Amino acid sequence: MICTIERLCVRRGGRPVVDGFELAVDRGEVVGIVGKNGCGKSTLLMAIAGVLAPTEGRVVIGGASVWGGARERLRARTALGYVPEAADPPGFLLAGELWAMCAASRGTEAPAPSLIDALGLDELRELAIERMSLGQRRRACLGAALLGPPQLLVLDEPDNGLDARRSDALVELVRAHAAAGHAAIIATHDRALLERTGARIVAFS
Amino acid sequence: MADSAPRSSRVWTRAVVAPAARRAAPVWIGVGIVGGVVFGPTGMAPRDLTGLALAVPSVGLGLVATWALLFLPAARVVVRADAARYLRALPEPRWPAVAIGGAALVILQLPWLALWVLGAGLVGMLVFALVTGLVIGLALIRARPPRVGALRWRGPFAALFGIYVRALRRRASDALIRAVGLAVLAGICAGLFARNNELAPREASVLAAAVIAVVLTPGWAGALLPLVEAHRDSAWLARTHGISEQARVGVLAAGAVAIYVATSVLAAIAASIVMPDAAAWLVPVVVAIGAGLGLGVTRALVRAERSQATSMRAVVGVIVATAIAVVALGALGATAVIAVLAIGAFAVGTA
Repeated sequence: MICTIERLCVRRGGRPVVDGFELAVDRGEVVGIVGKNGCGKSTLLMAIAGVLAPTEGRVVIGGASVWGGARERLRARTALGYVPEAADPPGFLLAGELWAMCAASRGTEAPAPSLIDALGLDELRELAIERMSLGQRRRACLGAALLGPPQLLVLDEPDNGLDARRSDALVELVRAHAAAGHAAIIATHDRALLERTGARIVAFS
Repeated sequence: MADSAPRSSRVWTRAVVAPAARRAAPVWIGVGIVGGVVFGPTGMAPRDLTGLALAVPSVGLGLVATWALLFLPAARVVVRADAARYLRALPEPRWPAVAIGGAALVILQLPWLALWVLGAGLVGMLVFALVTGLVIGLALIRARPPRVGALRWRGPFAALFGIYVRALRRRASDALIRAVGLAVLAGICAGLFARNNELAPREASVLAAAVIAVVLTPGWAGALLPLVEAHRDSAWLARTHGISEQARVGVLAAGAVAIYVATSVLAAIAASIVMPDAAAWLVPVVVAIGAGLGLGVTRALVRAERSQATSMRAVVGVIVATAIAVVALGALGATAVIAVLAIGAFAVGTA
């Protein structure tokens, strides 16, 4: 298993948003999380990606707990790449600086030529995040998340704002990622995207 | 069209002049405090200062450079008028905007205009016009867009620190320019204040450190706001890359201390020029108080990040930290340096 989620509970604003969620993601698997607006998909993904601390439960990625001790946390986070729903890294950063930061923390290099081609990253390298459209921001964040590559991709509405060409590229990248023995968790309302990536669908309520 | 022209002028005023006035406000506060000391009942008259500036080129250039540094951030907002660019698409004449901008440049420089008109009359007005032209020229210069180049950081902490440095360079450049100007003013003001009281070097350094802390507070607040925003905006990125909260706070503290120490050094140098005999006490006391304040204020910035009212909490934190330092200086004298450093270290350690 690349990722195991056990009895995960997350409270926000005093109310439970995620309550006892369980999931196991195997190598080569793409999991699609679906559910109505505001049901807590993004909160769930934030807890999986190590951004929002759960009140209970465990998230294990690559054998290390995302919310465990310092070393374990670091190991788990090195094994994941996350794109938030808003795709909103600090606006003053250039995309190239965002990739440099992600590369430094994962101990890897700048985006590979194939990734640059697929997502059209070259035109974004010297552009400030705050000057980008939503689609461009999403591409910059996908480029950052795929650096390494990580064992587990955690993608929140990853095709939001992408044009048809880049949407196709995203599908290919996710499929190739899974085919290479890694895995992905995708939260989206776009059933077609999940079908094209061959995702196992998990309903979240 | 006759109806829409005044309406668009009002929009232009709200979009351009109001933000410029907000940028000029800390300058007016700082200049007001310095003016109170320099032109107080036993102090100089405006004509003494303008006469000195016209007779001694180094004093004149220093005065002009300080004002240009202080006013440039507000002037940029008016001269570039980026916030009202969309109004150019309307079928209206441009002269109302130019007239409002010109008037704003004069009104926002009222303390500077008053100094020169009261001090040197018509010659003073000419100096005002020339300096305003210089400031407009400087305001029109746009920095080249940043480039990434072959950037490679040596680990997540270096990367996070690099991000904060970029936040200061790209978001706080105006605030930093203003802080530099305020630091020079604060140093001169503190030096004059201590010298007029004919104090021994040790007591003079304590008084100067307190005056510098008070005058520099608006400058520190302005420079720290972009830093705390970068801290907040990079939180998810740092967390998802395994950078601990302690490391984030450490990097934030390094940024805050760097701002406080750099401006304190400048202010201490300016004060030492006015009061050279006290320099041996002045520089270490002022810089150590600055370092302690930088550490202490980090706690307030961390709290501000978690609050809905980030800016207000950060500004209140800066003011409270200054107040604590001033009270400590008043109560403990030079020993306050140790107290402020200890309080700062405790505050950042428990943030």
